Amino acid sequence: MQLLRMAARRVLKAVLVDLSGTLHIEDSAVPGSQEALKRLRNAPVAIRFVTNTTKESKRDLLERLRSLEFDIAEDEIFTSLTAARNLLEQKQVRPLLLVDDNALQDFRGIPTNDPNAVVVGLAPEHFNYQMMNKAFRLILDGAPLIAIHKARYYKRKDGLALGPGPFVTGLEYATDTKATVVGKPETTFFLEALSGTGCKPEETVMIGDDCRGDVGGAQNAGMLGILVKTGKYRAADEAKINPAPYLTCDNFPQAVDHILQHLL
Amino acid sequence: MIKASGLKLRFCTNETQATRGKFVEKLQRLGFNISVNEVTAPAPAACRVLRERNLRPHLLVHDDLVPEFDQLDKANPNCVVIGDAADNFSYKNLNEAFRVLIGLENPILISLGRGRYYKETDGLKLDVGVYMKALEYACDIQAEVVGKPAKMFFQSALAEMEVEPQQAIMIGDDIVNDVGGAQQCGMRALQVRTGKYRPCDEQHPEVKADGYVNNLAEAVDIIVKQLHK
Repeated sequence: MQLLRMAARRVLKAVLVDLSGTLHIEDSAVPGSQEALKRLRNAPVAIRFVTNTTKESKRDLLERLRSLEFDIAEDEIFTSLTAARNLLEQKQVRPLLLVDDNALQDFRGIPTNDPNAVVVGLAPEHFNYQMMNKAFRLILDGAPLIAIHKARYYKRKDGLALGPGPFVTGLEYATDTKATVVGKPETTFFLEALSGTGCKPEETVMIGDDCRGDVGGAQNAGMLGILVKTGKYRAADEAKINPAPYLTCDNFPQAVDHILQHLL
Repeated sequence: MIKASGLKLRFCTNETQATRGKFVEKLQRLGFNISVNEVTAPAPAACRVLRERNLRPHLLVHDDLVPEFDQLDKANPNCVVIGDAADNFSYKNLNEAFRVLIGLENPILISLGRGRYYKETDGLKLDVGVYMKALEYACDIQAEVVGKPAKMFFQSALAEMEVEPQQAIMIGDDIVNDVGGAQQCGMRALQVRTGKYRPCDEQHPEVKADGYVNNLAEAVDIIVKQLHK
């Protein structure tokens, strides 16, 4: 009886937390999150901050989070930029980097002359017709297309804005090829995020505001997903994935409450 | 010769970087006897669709195409029309179109074609289909394509001539968009071995033309001969 109950009950050992839209929205913290994070740290769980942010290097992220009074260490952050860099090194290719200038520092040391690969991140300043044509021609000539992630859109102060996903999809259609996506919701991203924690997906909960990207992706990787109604969340998002999120709640502090009360 | 035979004639094109007026002028300069009201192009076809359905468009098209939409009410748009906008495919413009769509309860995206790319003197360039796919993905919707090979397009040309599909023949160089599209509407279609034609087109896995001819002149000869039988 005891064994059955234990098998049915997951043991929680790790928590993955999305950044933009979950802990903070641009330069403001989601109220109560700093304190909620402190409470989570008192529990016996490994914590990793995972993000598809392509505009900021790890340094930038750390500075912003610390200025918002979040207690976070650099090696607790895993970004899709890191995942992309790992892939470029593996394939030994020279990328045309359609990424924000700020993000370039995470690619330092990788040759970019005479590109034979295309990396697409969130880079509105590069998504003009000329640059898109340049990328298109490279891919048509055989260059692999690597997408940092395929988010449809994200929330800016002035409203919703197109993410890299639509542009990657367009290039895939133009060249009749498929991009290799390294960020959420790819399973490889979630698994790589756990490396170094010694934890398995079944022992992990992911908290995020992007139903398909954070929660759907995590659950497909074998984790539990908690959807928070902040950031890019829109009404009824939770109905868009199957299986539905393990839990949908108002915000990060509420998600932490639930974990502390029910999952430990 | 076609006109002399008494057959009705229409020119079907996916050109969306210029108004009909402009490219008819170009053809006239090349010596063709053609007038604007004989042309079925995506923009006017789209205008018909928009009027029928009381749609007010937000336009993401080439500057030179805008005049085609002058007669339409564009205030408070309830749909987006996308054409081969070339340099107008900036992030800012795409974002504006996206915001219109994502703010609508019933988002409607009308695309003037679905081409992937075309060839210009300075290389290959992305066509409207690419940006149509981008907005489809962003909003999780399906665009309605006006322009070859959409049925709507051929049907609208036939309606303008007041002719049934079985009474019409399409002549074109694009095996999928001209020939395939026309046949799907119940028309017969001939492929000409000019333009983007390639020999492998004659073994296309999905489309078999009703005939393959060397050029437009030959196509016309055949048609007119058949008529006089």
